[in-house]
Amino acid sequence: MPLDAIPVVIAPSGLRAGELSGNAPPLLREIAEMVRRLLASGETSAIDLQALPLTPADLEWLREQLGEGEIAVTLNADGESSLDETACPGVWWITHHNPMGAVVSAFIEVAFVPEVVKAHPEDVVIGLEHLELLISDLS
Amino acid sequence: MKGPLIETLARHGVTRRTFVKYCATLASMMALPPAAGRAMAEAMAAAPAASKRPSVIWLPFQECTGCTESITRSHSPTLEGLIFDVISLDYQETLMAAAGHQAEEALHAAMAANDGKYLLIVDGSIPLGLDGAYSCIAGKSNLETLKEVAKGAAAIVAMGSCAAYGGLPKANPNPTGAVSVADIIKDKPIINIPGCPPIPAVITGVLAHYLTFGSLPELDKHSRPKAFYGETIHDRCYRRPFYDQGKFAKTFDDEGARKGWCLFELGCKGPVTYNACATVKWNGGVSWPVESGHGCLGCSEPDFWDAGGFYKALSMPADPLKLAAKAAVVGAAAGVAVSFVNRGKKSAAKSAHEKTTLADLEK
Ligand code: SF4
Ligand code: SF4
Repeated sequence: MPLDAIPVVIAPSGLRAGELSGNAPPLLREIAEMVRRLLASGETSAIDLQALPLTPADLEWLREQLGEGEIAVTLNADGESSLDETACPGVWWITHHNPMGAVVSAFIEVAFVPEVVKAHPEDVVIGLEHLELLISDLS
Repeated sequence: MKGPLIETLARHGVTRRTFVKYCATLASMMALPPAAGRAMAEAMAAAPAASKRPSVIWLPFQECTGCTESITRSHSPTLEGLIFDVISLDYQETLMAAAGHQAEEALHAAMAANDGKYLLIVDGSIPLGLDGAYSCIAGKSNLETLKEVAKGAAAIVAMGSCAAYGGLPKANPNPTGAVSVADIIKDKPIINIPGCPPIPAVITGVLAHYLTFGSLPELDKHSRPKAFYGETIHDRCYRRPFYDQGKFAKTFDDEGARKGWCLFELGCKGPVTYNACATVKWNGGVSWPVESGHGCLGCSEPDFWDAGGFYKALSMPADPLKLAAKAAVVGAAAGVAVSFVNRGKKSAAKSAHEKTTLADLEK
C-alpha cells in the first residue's frame, strides 16, 4: 500500500510561527558585545537559540540580518551539524541535528573558529599513526 | 580535553566532537548557559581512574526494571551510557556481573569506602505491608535496606514514578502498602525523576549535573528538576493550536484524529502533566505519545495511576496554576467551556480544594 493511501494530514506547525515576537533585534546588540569581547580578549561565547522565546520567523529574521559568510562547515557526528559563518566574521550559526535529522540544539557562537572544528592534538596523533602505517605499506 | 573517558568513547567509535556536541545539547536541554556544556564536557572527559570516580549505588525495590531499560536502551547507548564510565556504579543488580553474596559484599564495601559521599539511586517503591515481606533482597526487607544505605548517602535520586511517588504498586487498593522514598527518608536531599519510565536524557542530564557541579539542579515542589519538569506537556505540545481553536479529535479514527487535532477529549492529561516529552521526545527524538496519536497519561504526576481513566477527558482545560489557586471558580467556567466532554458524569473539582490532583480533574 503506498503511503499516500493513508489519509493522514500533517498538522501545520504553531499558529504564530510566522510572527515576529520582537525578541530578535536585541540579540544583535548582544552579539556585537560578544564580538567586542572576542576582539579585546579572545574570549569566545555562545547564545543558546533554543533557550530563548524566538519564533521561527524571529530566527529567520536574525539569520537574514546576520547574512551568509564564506565558510560553511558540515560536521558528521551522531547526526549532521552545520557550522556556518555569517556575513559578520567571527559570528557562527550552529545547528546540531540528531541521526534522525531533527534539530537537537542550535547556537550562535562567537569565535575565530568554532571550538569543535579544530582538530584535537590527540586525534592528530592518531591520524599521524595512520599515515605512518600507510607509508610502511608502500614499501 | 582529554582523559580516560574520551579514550573509552573512542574505542566505541564515539569521536571527541560527537561528545562535545552531546554535552552542548545536554546543557541546552537543561537550560544551562552554553558555557556549561563545555564545563560538562571537560569535567566528564577528565573523569579520574576507576578507583576515584564518584561512587553510585543503585537499589532496585518494587519495580519492573523499566527505568533501567529506559537508560540502557536509549538511542545512542554509548553516549547516554557514557555516564557509566564517569561514575563507579558499585551496585546495580541488573547490570552488575556479581551476584548473591558477592554482590552484597560489593554493596557494603562501597558503602564503607565512600561513607557520606556516595549517590544513591532508587528505582521502585517500598512495600510496608506484612513488615515489608513483599519485597526482600538478601534476606532484608526493602525498608531495612533503604534506611541502611540512605544513612551514608550524600543525596538520593528517586528514579521513576514508583520511587518518587509509590507508582503502580501503590495503585488502589495498594495491596503491598507501597510508599515512595521521600515517605521514609526525611533527612537527605532527594531528587525525584518521575516518569513511567523517565526519559533517558533526563536521567543522564541530572547525573551529569551532579557530577559536574557537585550539586543537584533546581527542584520544583515535587522535588523534580525544573529544567525538565518546568513546563507541562500541554505548554509545549505541537497540537496546542488546535486546542486553542477548539478543534478536538472525538475518537481515535475520526477526521479530527487524522488531521492531528488536539487529543484533550480522548483523555490527554497533557495540561496537568509536567514533563519534557513534547520537547525531548522519545527513542532518540523519533516521536512521543501525542505525536503518535495517543493522549498523555500523566505518568510524571503523583497518583496518575488512580486518576480515574486514561481515556476520560479532564474536566477542566489548561492552566493548572490557575486551577490550583481557584479550583472552584475556574471549574465552573471550564465546565461550560468543555461541557460537551463527558457531559453530566460528574461535577468539576470539589470546591475549596486547594491542591488540584489528577483525580479531582477527572469527570
Ligand atoms: S490537550 Fe494534549 S493533545 Fe491537546 S494540546 Fe494539550 S497536550 Fe496537546
Ligand atoms: S506523554 Fe505523558 S504519559 Fe506519555 S511518557 Fe510523556 S508524560 Fe508520560
